[in-house]
Amino acid sequence: MAMNKNSNLYIVVYSTIMVVVVATLLAVAALSLQSRQQANMLGEKKQAILSSLGASTENYDEFVTSKVLNVEGAEVEGDALDLLFDLKGAFENGTYPIFEAKNGRVVIPVYGSGLWGPVWGYLALEPDMNTVVGIVLDHAGETPGLGAEIATPKHQAQYVGKTIFEGEELVAITLKKGGATEANIQHEVDAISGGTKTCDGVSAMLLNSLTNYLPYLKAHIASATECACEECAEETLSNVNME
Amino acid sequence: MSKEKESLFSAKNMKYLTGPFGANNPVIVQILGICSALAVTVQLKPAIVMALSVTAVTAFANLVMSLLRNGIPSRIRIIVQLVVIAALVILVDQVLKAFVYDVSKQLSVYVGLIITNCIVMGRVEAFALGNKPWPAFLDGLGNGLGYGLILVIVAFFRELFGSGSLFGIRLIPESWYIAEGGFYSNTGLMLFPPMALIIVGCIIWVHRTKNKDLQEK
Repeated sequence: MAMNKNSNLYIVVYSTIMVVVVATLLAVAALSLQSRQQANMLGEKKQAILSSLGASTENYDEFVTSKVLNVEGAEVEGDALDLLFDLKGAFENGTYPIFEAKNGRVVIPVYGSGLWGPVWGYLALEPDMNTVVGIVLDHAGETPGLGAEIATPKHQAQYVGKTIFEGEELVAITLKKGGATEANIQHEVDAISGGTKTCDGVSAMLLNSLTNYLPYLKAHIASATECACEECAEETLSNVNME
Repeated sequence: MSKEKESLFSAKNMKYLTGPFGANNPVIVQILGICSALAVTVQLKPAIVMALSVTAVTAFANLVMSLLRNGIPSRIRIIVQLVVIAALVILVDQVLKAFVYDVSKQLSVYVGLIITNCIVMGRVEAFALGNKPWPAFLDGLGNGLGYGLILVIVAFFRELFGSGSLFGIRLIPESWYIAEGGFYSNTGLMLFPPMALIIVGCIIWVHRTKNKDLQEK
């Protein structure tokens, strides 16, 4: 059939068909794979929460309960795991997901900016709401071998045992260029050579995100130390039993 | 058109596959795809997964474009190529996310960047539009693997001398390091992109010494 393949009509028809076919193909692929991808991401988040608690063998659903806090640190309606998919938005809306383990430890999700894109993580605290049990950090696109080293076990091992409060004040943990200093060893870890911008981002992320949870943390510290009411006393008791 | 049917693995067809490994390598002879060769070669593992992903995309982009080659209006052929390549890359990305989630996380943004890899479009434009589907597929496969070969060589040197490890496994003993009282320290320069360019330069040097016909007069 003689057809002028460079006529305007042919080009318009050709590109229209092409776009429709490709769009359909991609839409079908995206929709049919969506549930698998969601399950993968959810599984990964649960795994990260467990490994920050140092309890990778436990069953997430049996071991961890989650709730959502508001700005005052009071519990509100909501699905904490769901909020993790858009943690930045959740923080901006004043909703703060938190995960409580059976042994009294809590996991606080953190979110911030690295050099090239978002960085996020899960910080697990002892029942004293001060000592770090463990941390899992991750990133979207930091430089492999440099900023991306924040996601390695070697880097994350440094956080264990550090404390986030200096007296009454929340100082979180700083990634110190040139290595943690002796004077401030409780609140500093070694930054990564060549990854300074990423490390600054992680330091800011820890402080900013933890600040969101300050009312909750303060309330739990108070209840742990003073035991003003019976309910709190029971809570502390059960924490002790779990140890 | 009474051409004799050629066997699928004839010498001529195999040359499309193996040519890009050496004499016609896309990276060190045609100097294409340098950008991603700098970005993903700090460690071996991402380099290998990237090489495989690019190979899949070049092979299937060539195949699809070769099948379509007689119907494409030449005035919009670049746009058609881009649509096909972009669709393939998105498909690869979606499949990786659904079935090998950890690998897709490792590659992060680089999967999307395959779209901009000059080799993919270069082979489609230069080869697939003028050849039958099977040779085009082999050509894409060969060029992807030829690209991957250079990526792996560069990543090997960069990870070994930059981090003292391969595949994340430490090879240089801890006790050699200055911090542990030894004499050795990692070469920080290896971790930076310029070093990838210098290693590619060294590979080109060796390659041209062996292939005298590539040397400029």
